[in-house]
Amino acid sequence: MMGDAAVSRGDRVPFWGRTVSLPFYKGLVTFLFGSPRRQFWLLASFSIIWVLFAHLGPILQMLHVSFLDGYPPTAGREPVMTLANYERFFSESIFILPFFRTLAFASLLTAATLVITYPVAYFLARHVRRQRQLALLLLLLIPFWVGEIVRTYAIMILLGNNGAVNLLLRWLGLVDRPIPFMYTGFSLSIGIIYLTALYMLLPLYSALEKLPASYSEAAADLGAGGWTRFRRITLPLTREGIASGCTLVFLISSGYYATPVLLGGPATTVFAETVARFFHVAGDEWPTGAAFSCLMLLTALAIAGAFNRLVSPRRVGAGG
Amino acid sequence: MKRNSRAFLACAYWAFVVYLFVPLMLMVMMGFKDSKFIGFPIRSWTLEWYLGVFRDTEVLSVFGYSLLIAILSTVLSLAIGTWIAAFLNSYRTFPGRMLVFGLTLLPAVVPGIISAISLRIYARVLGIEPGLWAIVWSHAVHNVPFVVLVVIARLSTLPPSQTEAARDLGADPLIAFIRVTVPYLRPALIGAGIFCLLLSFDDFVRSFFLGGYDPTLPVLIFTRLHSGMSPEINAIATVALVLTAIVGIWAERSMRRMRKEQNA
Amino acid sequence: MPGVERRYGLSIARMSKKTTLVEKPMKRIKLERRHFLSATAAASATIAAPSIIRPARAAGGEVNIWTYTNFVPDAFKEQFEAETGIKVNIRLVDDQGKQFSLLAAEAPNPTVDIITVAGHRFLQFIDSDLLAPLDTARITNWGNINPVFSESDWATINGDKWGAPILSGAEIFAYNTDIVSEEEARTWSTLFSDSHAGQTAYIIQDMMSIIMLYLGYDGNMVEYIGNEEKAASIVAEARDFLIENKPKVRKYYDSGAEVQQMFVNQDIVCGHAWNGPIAKLIADGFPVAMSIPDEGSYGFVYTLNVANNAPNADNAYTFLNALLASSEIGAEMSRASGYVSTYKDAQQHLSELEIRSASFPDDQLEHLQFFRAEANEMKYGLVDPAVEQIKAA
Repeated sequence: MMGDAAVSRGDRVPFWGRTVSLPFYKGLVTFLFGSPRRQFWLLASFSIIWVLFAHLGPILQMLHVSFLDGYPPTAGREPVMTLANYERFFSESIFILPFFRTLAFASLLTAATLVITYPVAYFLARHVRRQRQLALLLLLLIPFWVGEIVRTYAIMILLGNNGAVNLLLRWLGLVDRPIPFMYTGFSLSIGIIYLTALYMLLPLYSALEKLPASYSEAAADLGAGGWTRFRRITLPLTREGIASGCTLVFLISSGYYATPVLLGGPATTVFAETVARFFHVAGDEWPTGAAFSCLMLLTALAIAGAFNRLVSPRRVGAGG
Repeated sequence: MKRNSRAFLACAYWAFVVYLFVPLMLMVMMGFKDSKFIGFPIRSWTLEWYLGVFRDTEVLSVFGYSLLIAILSTVLSLAIGTWIAAFLNSYRTFPGRMLVFGLTLLPAVVPGIISAISLRIYARVLGIEPGLWAIVWSHAVHNVPFVVLVVIARLSTLPPSQTEAARDLGADPLIAFIRVTVPYLRPALIGAGIFCLLLSFDDFVRSFFLGGYDPTLPVLIFTRLHSGMSPEINAIATVALVLTAIVGIWAERSMRRMRKEQNA
Repeated sequence: MPGVERRYGLSIARMSKKTTLVEKPMKRIKLERRHFLSATAAASATIAAPSIIRPARAAGGEVNIWTYTNFVPDAFKEQFEAETGIKVNIRLVDDQGKQFSLLAAEAPNPTVDIITVAGHRFLQFIDSDLLAPLDTARITNWGNINPVFSESDWATINGDKWGAPILSGAEIFAYNTDIVSEEEARTWSTLFSDSHAGQTAYIIQDMMSIIMLYLGYDGNMVEYIGNEEKAASIVAEARDFLIENKPKVRKYYDSGAEVQQMFVNQDIVCGHAWNGPIAKLIADGFPVAMSIPDEGSYGFVYTLNVANNAPNADNAYTFLNALLASSEIGAEMSRASGYVSTYKDAQQHLSELEIRSASFPDDQLEHLQFFRAEANEMKYGLVDPAVEQIKAA
């Protein structure tokens, strides 16, 4: 590789050299990078403008709608600012139940996803030759190229009363009446973990992959057993990966809509369904839907933030 | 001991693969069912659905359109995401950093339907017409957070000595960035890029709200679902999967060849 | 609105007498399994058409339409484009709510000319100023629509017509004929019986209206306009009934595709559904049948509407007029979607089997009435929270 670089430099330098000596280029670079201050503003201005306009703008729009008493605007009526949409959440217990159910469910699913994908990521990062790692990782990504809806219907024919699993169980003679897997917390979990696994897998993999094998070996030399090594060394050192994976999965799974609607049952209504109903079915209740979304967003962010603070490695090196 | 744990981990990996692939296999299989509905039992088989996909010019052009959107939005997300990551990584003591960081991650956590409707209203405020660019823009907004997360993780491990060395050799900051930082970021950019392509290609709700009269693949599938989940939809999804795999492998091959030729 | 209360919807039963939509009592449908692929291909080829636009004046331009898949036949679209030079851009949508959200987000200058609204949802669109009143004088083929649909009371709001009816559906009881008997299919109470507990499904919003009817009330709630107290107690009674029976339901579903899949997967043996999706299952040879139970049920009508401020309103009228030109087009729409055509004489172009899968015997039709929109604001103001309460219970 080093040799290659030397060779390629031979034919690339002229291009860069030419570019660099262009007066226009020189002027531009001096203008943009002339001082650390300018350099800062160059990087900062675009970043800040983008996040304000593209990221915050739509949310502020939603926040604004959540304080209106009517939206989309009705003919000949000016919307009035109100807090009623927020009050509605706290005054009616029917909203609070799905709200907490969603949070609890998202937490459980996050934990389940972590437990399921950690060994997978560990195997990939620590037990597979480096050249094969990418191939095996890409293998895991293939199902994600298939749309959410098609995958979800495939899970239905897997778990239905007349689905693949039940047919297999009956053929094996293990059951004589089909087991109703579908439309329960179980089928819903199977469907959601299918979707969230990726978000957990990638951060875990990259955290584990960075981990030098020598740490664990050193511990082994000192006589630490496999479990101890994992608990005392691997786990703490991959905290950051765990934290970011869990945060992502938690936040994303609390917002899922289509999969819970299709795979869930009468007892698993999640908050996203409640919110979507205000936009879908009752078309004139956008403000309430917007208010509820804001509440959900805030709560989920707060929980994720608290979790991160708890789990993330302490900033300054732990001495002991 | 060591062997046991290795065997356990290998089992976990392959069990996970089975979990991911069994539904996929069912999907492929149902595309061969001679019926208008998927599910067991399969009494007779047909190739008609798969052949139909290739005869259906709408599906093929929609596939191309989705791919175009995915590529454009990925390029855009990578550029913007890297820019923001460079900013967040370089100025760790900047007082508003946490705020900017939080705002950066915001679109990743807003539920899809909310994000789609708010983007649609906002697009109107900005005067962006629904259609290709509106979708690209909405996908970029949704993808940037993931790019930033991945790139910043990699960027934070770049030893400052490397760019400093380049600067010492007379490179200006831009050259140093292009010649040193970008190559170092390559694995992160590839990973984030694959991720963005996936998210964009699979997105229904944003594409639906911000799209014009040309549907993307998920939008087409969703609307055809109105008359039932038919083997046709399974066949479309399978063909799309195979085609993207081919495009992906081809892109990877040609990139590798280009690199070889460059190095030769 | 005084005076409307007692004017009950022209029931489809009366329609059936006038137009002989169905003549023979429906027998249990037992079908030979057929290879539908070739069958549908043959069927769609028969849409041979005489010129649909009489003076073929090339108008040019385009017309933008939001509609469901299979509602506008491809053959018709191509012919229309060839004869008028107007390009037809179809954007497929998948539910009423999303269409509303999308249109509301685009208002007051929408990109769309024609949208597809279910008749009883008119009010919501009209109140938000999203629809333009339909000038039926500009549609010379208006008379090709069965007057049961075009002149019905739900079709006129604020003295105007708002849409051209194209297809009609009904809330029906669907059942697996291997397990549920015809006798059981005569009553909604089968959905709540212990023998099928855990094997039923319904759309909860729609079920509220049906349960009100089942309990002996007016599910349209038109009778209770001005008597909010009575209305609230009725909704509460229906709600409590559904909550009490919640342990017996397998799934509260939303879309036709879901209920089809549940029947195929044998996750349910009976349920409430719209006739369109079930008709498709029947046509595929699946052992499913549908009925309108004795307690009664509701019908609804899909209409094509011109959007308020439509960019190509003239072309929209040209399109509507052309679509209504021939009953064969109506038959093709019915065949492709599974819903009943609103065109006069459409069934002349349908096969025996297609007519049977898309219609009901007379004695059942007598129990069917249309959804009405007059009381919607009060009704859904009460029903929507009740739905949330049932789901959260």
